[in-house]
Amino acid sequence: MAKRKTRRQQIVDLAVLAPLDWIDERTGAVRGTKWFLFRNVPRDVSWAQTLGFATLIAFLTQTLTGAILAMYYKPDPNSAYESIEHITNDLTLGWLVRGMHRWGASVFVILLFLHMGRVFLFGAYKYPRELQWITGVLLLATGMLMGFTGYLLPWDQTAYWATVVGINLNGTAPFAGPWLAQFLSSGPEIGGDTLAKWYALHMLLLPGAIFALIGVHLYLVTRLGVVSPPWSKEQAGRERPVAEPTGARAGLVRRGTEGGAK
Amino acid sequence: MARDRGEQNREWYATYKDDVKKEGKGFFPYAMLHDTIMGFVVVLVIIGLAIIWYWDADGVEPGVLGPLYTEPADPGTTDFVPRPDWYFYFLFYLLRIFEWPETVVIATVGIPTVLLILLLGLPFYDRSRERRPSRRPVAMIAAVLTVISMGVLTYKGATATEALGSELIVLVPEWAEEKGFADNDNAVEGARLFAVSGCLNCHIYLGSGVGALGAPDLSDVGDRYDQETLVRYLTNPAEFGNTVMGSYAYLGQENLNKLATFLDASTSDDG
Repeated sequence: MAKRKTRRQQIVDLAVLAPLDWIDERTGAVRGTKWFLFRNVPRDVSWAQTLGFATLIAFLTQTLTGAILAMYYKPDPNSAYESIEHITNDLTLGWLVRGMHRWGASVFVILLFLHMGRVFLFGAYKYPRELQWITGVLLLATGMLMGFTGYLLPWDQTAYWATVVGINLNGTAPFAGPWLAQFLSSGPEIGGDTLAKWYALHMLLLPGAIFALIGVHLYLVTRLGVVSPPWSKEQAGRERPVAEPTGARAGLVRRGTEGGAK
Repeated sequence: MARDRGEQNREWYATYKDDVKKEGKGFFPYAMLHDTIMGFVVVLVIIGLAIIWYWDADGVEPGVLGPLYTEPADPGTTDFVPRPDWYFYFLFYLLRIFEWPETVVIATVGIPTVLLILLLGLPFYDRSRERRPSRRPVAMIAAVLTVISMGVLTYKGATATEALGSELIVLVPEWAEEKGFADNDNAVEGARLFAVSGCLNCHIYLGSGVGALGAPDLSDVGDRYDQETLVRYLTNPAEFGNTVMGSYAYLGQENLNKLATFLDASTSDDG
């Protein structure tokens, strides 16, 4: 019995633990995963604090459905509209993928705002989470730019005219405005160059920026931790009665920065 | 007691970390379970929206969640009301509040930029440790006012209706009489073009139109430019320092001539 167990142990060692050790030795990936998963959060965190993860899921849904759409979409004024019709009407479940991408964008934006509202309500942007907040605001801005650039791609009337207005809006900015409008429209009229440029922004530049920002955002939330609801009676970091323990427990509780957090 | 803020902050944060370590629960599996359930809900809601959208709409025929797509983009037809995605409605409506000449910049650039800076800077000007909403009246009032104004602007933007070109065309005889070009066929033709080409999505003419993006009232534009100059203006507004308005060269030379004839006839001394 004991021998069998040892053999099984050997197989586990060889097939699972050894490769993991090999990877961990070179990348720290296993320690990193443990660091991410096996940490404590305040015991009073609850549903309100799932909005950030929900936003992440909405974004990943956009990434996946967007990648599938990109396989069938043609960023060219002569064929963009047809390819959208083709995706929606002919492709197996194409309507679902496009519908999820179209509505996922709205869900993503709503969740961005809800998540920001929750963080604001909880005062969670305060020390030491200032950079967490800043990356979050930048994510909100890039997220809305994703909506702005993606709106043109179906190349229908709604898309075209909303973009005409959108580019004109950018044109009213002082100093950079005319340059920005020129950059966005790529010429006197909105056409093939515009579409290709917006496609690149929507598919490469902005998603890349969002992925990078999410990386920083997640690293920071793991490093700094999430806050308790501010009204919670048992919130982490709450004010303690000033009285020091007396009697037999005197001196057992360490306070302050020097090792209390270890 | 006069410790500096940094030291105090570090001490508070150390207490927080200590509490989390001693009293907290594991992120895995407890918080992660909630997260996972929420993730599924999000994906299901998205799928649900996609299904409702698809089953209730038929091509360009809108369902409860709008059409699958509208007609193909056509720079020539312009009785189409430009409309952004819903989360830009607030911006869209701000444009109505601020009008020509220079104040439109406040709506397009000023307010969004100020909002963005206020948001980015929030942790740096709100530096107290207090997190309870009841003890942060200024922050809460500011937040409620922001939410209400965004909500109202979004609602107004969503319900705003611009006149369609096909509705404006009935005004042409009225314009012709008021400006006295009824017997000039080219000018009347030009007026019809003016009505259907989306000019009034930005401009104002005799009380009709939107007055968005800083576009001026064109009722008396004939006082300022002659016919030839107007053709040049319509072909390339940038030549006149106008970088907001796009070129209307796609209408063709003949149409541009008619349009310019109409605009040239629109002077203040007719009547």
